[in-house]
Amino acid sequence: MKPGTDRSVITIETTRQDHRIAWLTALAITIHIAESVLPSPLPGVKPGLANVVTIAVLMLYGWRTAMWVSLLRVLVGSILIGTFLTPTFTLSLAGAVSSLLVLGLGGLLPGRGLGPVGYSLLAALAHMAGQFMVAYWLFIPHQGLFGLLPVLMSMAALFGLVSGLIVMAMVAKLKERTS
Amino acid sequence: MTRADLVVIGFTLALLPFLYGTFWNRQGPADAALIIDESGREFSIPLDTDQQLHIDGPRGVSILEVRDGQIRFLDSPCRGKQCIHAGWLKESGEFAACLPNRVSIAVNGSEPLYDSINF
Repeated sequence: MKPGTDRSVITIETTRQDHRIAWLTALAITIHIAESVLPSPLPGVKPGLANVVTIAVLMLYGWRTAMWVSLLRVLVGSILIGTFLTPTFTLSLAGAVSSLLVLGLGGLLPGRGLGPVGYSLLAALAHMAGQFMVAYWLFIPHQGLFGLLPVLMSMAALFGLVSGLIVMAMVAKLKERTS
Repeated sequence: MTRADLVVIGFTLALLPFLYGTFWNRQGPADAALIIDESGREFSIPLDTDQQLHIDGPRGVSILEVRDGQIRFLDSPCRGKQCIHAGWLKESGEFAACLPNRVSIAVNGSEPLYDSINF
């Protein structure tokens, strides 16, 4: 049946871009959920490997696609894990939004600009900082929370750096394959 | 890796010590000093009375000054004078020592900053 001949069937035209976003988001969600079952040494500290996908997408397809993948991952990931609209979700979203903003700003740099490592490090720091501020404003408005900030930021820097190196290797490999 | 990447890494390396310095420094005021002399003898003195203390060491006499809830090395018969440059100790947990004269001081608060911390 051709689309449009039956009124009860609505066909949504999907673009190549939509499919790409869906595939990449699925990948990010898988990593996100796999990681959520890993025990964490400190509350708020986790490797954030799903951000590898965000940064790789940023490097390969640009900021808009990265934004979709990142936000959809937070939304769908939280629904699947069962944290949708809980504090965990709020913090996750705050982190994603802050890191996306910083990634957008990073893209404005002149010259050769940032590589995967720089983007990843900035995103990790922004993610943690944004998350921390929201946690402070909404959930734990206590000065004592700031005692955790140096440790959390150190972990963010460490994991951001590692993710960045992973993305660098990944992008190099992909370019090698496609060329 | 681009130059901008290196700038970001440098920025991070500068940011982290700054964060530790800013947020891990609030130990609360000290109210007593623990002094250890050459023989390993420890004695605690309150910081609420202003006074000068003369501590004997192998090189001579180290003079400690207590004023306004703080303590410092006023003089010490050593070459480097690091102990004097350490300045006033007032935050709980601060520490200064004159190694040549084997005198050290550490200040403590009777009331810790946190009652308890748990996760």
